[in-house]
Amino acid sequence: MSGEGMNSDLTVLLEIQDLQAKLRELESASGLAAFEQEEFGIDPAEASDALRDKVGDLEDRLTDEVRQRYDRVVGGVDRVVVPVIHGTCYGCFTAVPTATAGETDPNATLTTCEHCGRFLYFS
Amino acid sequence: MRLRELFTADVVKLDLESESKDDLLKELVSVLDLDEKSEAILFKTLKRRENLGSTGIGKGIAIPHCRSLVVNRLRLAYGRKPGGVDFKAIDGDPVRNFFLIVAPPLEVSNQYLPVLGKIAQFAKDEAVPGALLELESPEDFLALLDEKAS
Repeated sequence: MSGEGMNSDLTVLLEIQDLQAKLRELESASGLAAFEQEEFGIDPAEASDALRDKVGDLEDRLTDEVRQRYDRVVGGVDRVVVPVIHGTCYGCFTAVPTATAGETDPNATLTTCEHCGRFLYFS
Repeated sequence: MRLRELFTADVVKLDLESESKDDLLKELVSVLDLDEKSEAILFKTLKRRENLGSTGIGKGIAIPHCRSLVVNRLRLAYGRKPGGVDFKAIDGDPVRNFFLIVAPPLEVSNQYLPVLGKIAQFAKDEAVPGALLELESPEDFLALLDEKAS
């Protein structure tokens, strides 16, 4: 995957998703929050607030059309962007149509899963 | 799984050239050999993590880490900058040794936190910071992991 022509909304969505992953870790009992606190002196609550602010900034950078779809999806699922690995959506684990998955650079176009509605990232 | 099994010689760079924290993160990310856009996203995610607080744990060692969708498996790299870089480390000293850890958001083997812990433990061995500065080849690094890391 070259990545050179990645859709600009997808780029922002990936950044949001990465921050959301960190947020979930800081707010869960996974042990990562405690590790961050003990080893790096991070205050999980303070860090979560900072990340939420940054997510909000990034959300504002989405184009109107994508933002509307994002707002619809974000209320119902834990992850708005999911990878497609070996032709399978890793949000709902259904097969992505081969016409989409087979494109030279499928990340050049913003694609959603026909089944679960999540945004797709072809890894 | 032992730490040694997660590193290969091609993700070890003993002569990092960057002089600033941002440039160093970019150079470290480039060791993973991702596409340009993925590298840019990963750099931003790592930088945002650093903005929460430095991953410089002292004694010249930093462990930049994050989860990111741009990787589909756990990726690690080690980089060394003998002269050191101001990384805003917890002890204020320049950082010379960098352990990069990147994991996908969903990771079946769930190695991210254990690997972070193992690297932190490895770095705290009193003999390790000095031994890292004496490495002459990536293979020396792998041998040190064999000897000192769990």
